[in-house]
Amino acid sequence: MQRVGIDIGGTFTDLVGFRDGAIVIGKTSTTVDEPTRGVADSLIAADTDIPALAELLHGSTIAINTVLERTGALTALVTTKGFRDVYAIGRNNRPEAFNLNFRRPRPLIPRELSFELDERMNAAGEVLRPLDEGEIARVGKLLIEAGVDSVAICLLHAYANPAHERLTAEILEQSCPGLFITSSHEILREYREYERTSTTALNAYVGPRVRAYLDRLGGFLDERQFQGGIQIMRSNGGTMSLGQAREQPVSMMESGPVAGMIAAGRIATLLDLGQCIGFDMGGTTAKSSLIVDGAPEIRDGYHIGGYASGQPMQLPVVDIVEIGAGGGSIAWCDAHGGLHVGPESAGADPGPACYGKGGADPVMTDADLVLGRLNAGRFLSGRMALDASLSEAAIRERIADPLGLGVNDAAAGIARITDAAMSLAVRSVSVERGYDPRDCTLIAFGGAGPLHAVSIAREIHVPRVVVPLYPGNFSALGMLLAAWRQDFVQTLVSDLVDVDPAAALAAFESLRTAARARMAEEGLDPTPAVYQFAADLRYRGQEHTIPVPVGAAGDLEGGGSAGLRAQFDLLHERRYGHAAPDETIQMVNLRLTLELARDGGGADADWLSAPYAPDDAQPDQIRLVVYDDPETPIDARIVWRPGLAAGSVIEGPAVIEEPNSTTLLFPGDIARITEHGHIDIAIAPAPGEEDRT
Amino acid sequence: MTVHPITLEVVRNGLVACAEDMATALCKSAYNMMIYEVRDYCCGLIDTEGRMVSQNAGGLPIFLADLGAAVLDGIERYGLDGFEPGDVIIMNHAYICGQHLNNIVIYTPCFFEGRVVAFAANRAHWVDVGGTRVGFGSYGTNEIFQEGLQFRSLKLYEAGKRSEAIWQILEDNLRFPESSLGDLRAQMASCRMGERRITELFSRYGADTVRDCVERIWDQAEAEVREIVSGFPDGVYKAASRLDNDGRNLDVPLDIKVTVTIEGSTMTVDYSDMNPQVPTPLNSGYSGGLAAARVAFKCLTQPDAPVNEGGFRPLTLISPEGTLVNARPPAAIGLWSIALPTVIDTILKALAPALPDRIPAAHKGDMGGCSFYGYREGDGKRFLLMNIFGGGWGGRPTGDGESAAVSICQGDVRNVPIEVQETNFPFLIERFALRQDSGGAGEHRGGLGVEITYRCLQATVANINMERILEAPWGLYGGAPARVNKAIIRRADGTEREVAKETNIQLEAGDLVIFLTAGGGGYGEAAARDPAKIEADLRAGLISAQAAADDYGFVPAGKAAP
Repeated sequence: MQRVGIDIGGTFTDLVGFRDGAIVIGKTSTTVDEPTRGVADSLIAADTDIPALAELLHGSTIAINTVLERTGALTALVTTKGFRDVYAIGRNNRPEAFNLNFRRPRPLIPRELSFELDERMNAAGEVLRPLDEGEIARVGKLLIEAGVDSVAICLLHAYANPAHERLTAEILEQSCPGLFITSSHEILREYREYERTSTTALNAYVGPRVRAYLDRLGGFLDERQFQGGIQIMRSNGGTMSLGQAREQPVSMMESGPVAGMIAAGRIATLLDLGQCIGFDMGGTTAKSSLIVDGAPEIRDGYHIGGYASGQPMQLPVVDIVEIGAGGGSIAWCDAHGGLHVGPESAGADPGPACYGKGGADPVMTDADLVLGRLNAGRFLSGRMALDASLSEAAIRERIADPLGLGVNDAAAGIARITDAAMSLAVRSVSVERGYDPRDCTLIAFGGAGPLHAVSIAREIHVPRVVVPLYPGNFSALGMLLAAWRQDFVQTLVSDLVDVDPAAALAAFESLRTAARARMAEEGLDPTPAVYQFAADLRYRGQEHTIPVPVGAAGDLEGGGSAGLRAQFDLLHERRYGHAAPDETIQMVNLRLTLELARDGGGADADWLSAPYAPDDAQPDQIRLVVYDDPETPIDARIVWRPGLAAGSVIEGPAVIEEPNSTTLLFPGDIARITEHGHIDIAIAPAPGEEDRT
Repeated sequence: MTVHPITLEVVRNGLVACAEDMATALCKSAYNMMIYEVRDYCCGLIDTEGRMVSQNAGGLPIFLADLGAAVLDGIERYGLDGFEPGDVIIMNHAYICGQHLNNIVIYTPCFFEGRVVAFAANRAHWVDVGGTRVGFGSYGTNEIFQEGLQFRSLKLYEAGKRSEAIWQILEDNLRFPESSLGDLRAQMASCRMGERRITELFSRYGADTVRDCVERIWDQAEAEVREIVSGFPDGVYKAASRLDNDGRNLDVPLDIKVTVTIEGSTMTVDYSDMNPQVPTPLNSGYSGGLAAARVAFKCLTQPDAPVNEGGFRPLTLISPEGTLVNARPPAAIGLWSIALPTVIDTILKALAPALPDRIPAAHKGDMGGCSFYGYREGDGKRFLLMNIFGGGWGGRPTGDGESAAVSICQGDVRNVPIEVQETNFPFLIERFALRQDSGGAGEHRGGLGVEITYRCLQATVANINMERILEAPWGLYGGAPARVNKAIIRRADGTEREVAKETNIQLEAGDLVIFLTAGGGGYGEAAARDPAKIEADLRAGLISAQAAADDYGFVPAGKAAP
């Protein structure tokens, strides 16, 4: 099986693939002006035989960058009469409560390109005012006059009955050739008109640009006799076909960061870890995500560009908490003696002071170097020598002297503040979901993740840390493991005890039909498809729902709902610390998640769970490393990871080094190399904790 | 004792995270939209002297003042030794809390090494607390006893054991017990979350260190704020504005008069000239006036920093008893917050000469909302629909005012989606739009208000509490005032009337209720506005051709002057 994944990030284009059972890894610089060339470059750099490829997986930041840079198409909105301002009004809120200069989200569609249709449905999907074809033709003329490239159609209550949206799209398709048309019901069958409008507008806005990009990519591969399938990474942690990505580019917004969490999920399954936290720390940010039973948590939307002024996107997205703390985060002092780290980052240029490129600001990496935790000679496999004296000077000047601390003390402080901030983020993904960190395993990856993972684990009492193989390229590897995935949702509001069996059956059937249609459209064999249904439930009166798995329509009927109710009470108790077994439960949405595993299923076998053969061993070294007491560094064992055989055991204080990453062990921590080559660390219990069972 | 700067930073972040975790627990599992949409709540940690250690961001700004005062009353009543693990205290006493009785404070003691070290507290708006009005305050009450139940620092749970007497009183006296008791459970869970977090912090760093950190955090915040206020020019600044009336004496406007003194690094807000308290529920207790002063102060000093006690030390309040913002018992206070946006705007207006590059023109100036209730035809169930509307904000030194935003007293407060309202309540919403020409003209135009039209699908009852329909949101530096709030009832038979302050308005199927919210005032002379911006506003329909000509003297290219 020949398969490659290509992830285009802001700085680097990563390629990872399997070729004849071996892993291929490549990194090239992202070509900002012509990203398809980046794909071409990386394929060539990795010496890929394009006609022999069975599949190409692709993640890209093009969709999200189009939104953040506001470089999308001239787009119009078509909506129900009386409601063209829903999009501009939003939710009226001001998250920055005390900021007199607050900014509300700026719509991607100007008001003068928002057009109204004289039509109306009610919440039950009944037509109150029919839609006349002449009315659509009138709006079609306005669209042509305005010269728009794209249109978002979002009519009130279209989630309940999409007939008017369908008719509008059909007629506009005929009368406005070349127009990129997005209908809200195709994107999201959920109530809440502002969020649905915004999601639809996002799709319409990025559509023409992303479609052109994907077409260039397809064309490029066609010319080179590519015979395989192209799959695009989507925010929900799965993939979709190129064809679907052309229609629904909004679902590839978070195409990049999710892949690492998918891979972490597979590690969790391999090692039989029920509750894990994936932790990914790179140069500028750290990300964490809860992983239960091998699957990263999914949330039903987020705001692109931040909550206060961003654009709501109400589609399933892997639930990742991100904070601005990474290896390149700058440490600084405020005027009142407060020490802070980040969110400013030194980036790659000038980079940390120790790079010797003229950076005067000390960053996290400088502190790690001063503390003896990083090896100045082995950074990026020794391709880049680091100068610890520059780190020391920067820390002394900017932090230690102003605060009246020693250099080691200041460096340890930078590490502690960073670790504490990341600990809060890591803890919040577990605690907010009702999981105790003491019952979780941390799976650490990203260039800087393994270096800080153990400190974080100690801070929040996580007893076990796993550092997988290739932690520095882990995210790209995740792409090769992702399943083809589709999410469907249908709003169906009813008290659980009163669910109308016919309506429930119809809703299930409509979800199944949509699923089958999608597979047929993509030419996929439906036999191995896994259907997972869930009902969004809440106590009547609440707003926020919890998805509870259901098997079939019958489970929702009065008689059969007792199990569902018990499960909901339990989940509510776990997540929020209280439950109300006597209160009415309301259903809001039905959901269907459809997954098809990558054919061949060889990805896991090929590397995650393949027997592990080490490289040649290198002799251990000894180095002074600062742990808890900054003034008393202690001798730590320095180990070369690629030379460690399966079954090796390393006891801290130790530093495990490898080409693109470093793992730090505290005194008493015990690391074992698993049969597959992953590092499995038992964290030494803190004093007084030994007796917790 | 000096605290290690690193420990200080870690504890600082830990305290903020603690309040945020409490807020998440409350908001996500609450039962009424006043909490999960309107965010009418706050969560925080209070020390053993009733001082605010940390508070969540994102709740209502006007909850800045007195969570501590509510807890202090319990400390005085029981003594610190009088609390046991498992206690849950309920508190909404009108004049200690200073706000309407719907705002229920729940708190629990946090123990470390056998002693109370702090309290985890939250306040949330219950949809109903009994009394003569459905929901919360409306005109017609004149003393507190008509406005619902009061609980003064009562132990709802004692060492983990529920007081069945209090519980029964709640069940029997609330109109929507299912909702309120659900909120109560969410509030208690939020407190337990706070207890766990704060105990973790104490066991990690020790009681003395945490206390020292808290003192340092307050001192730092104070120092930072003093430095900012020192940059304000010294002086005595006065401003006045008016509310329409008290709802009973309809032709007597109420005077909102403030004196703000900047002296060195301190600011004093003086309400001595404020309108006397009124015989209707438009009053607040002391904390209402304090909250208004604090919101204005926070906006001008550290809008982005977490809230704590220290940041308010440079602020002094002079608030004599017997005024609209510090009413004597047994005044009614059901609409305690209605006056506050105007009070805050007036404080800002007073400082405009001192801080010309910071102060915006006036915003819409009311809390903006509606409330409909009744019994559903069909199943006979009681319903209560509440919604919040935004309006315009004033033009600012940096640019045009924002449109359709909630008041300065409300932060992350969200309206209820139309599709959600129509799914849950017997109404059809016919229009929800920006209100053309509602923003005051100016070099920087005021933001626009909104219009929303409700069609009743069955018999229902409305309470309408419109304020500031007479005094328009003012402009600054020559900017024009904005259009004012308006509510119109258009009956199915075609008759129509404007409504300002009325309670229990009977509506029938087919009747329309139309709300038009105010815009924001203009900033700077209209004549100075960039013609390209006028043209863009015209193109977008934010202003009409008539207004462009009348307010700006603007004639589109190619057209003759009128």
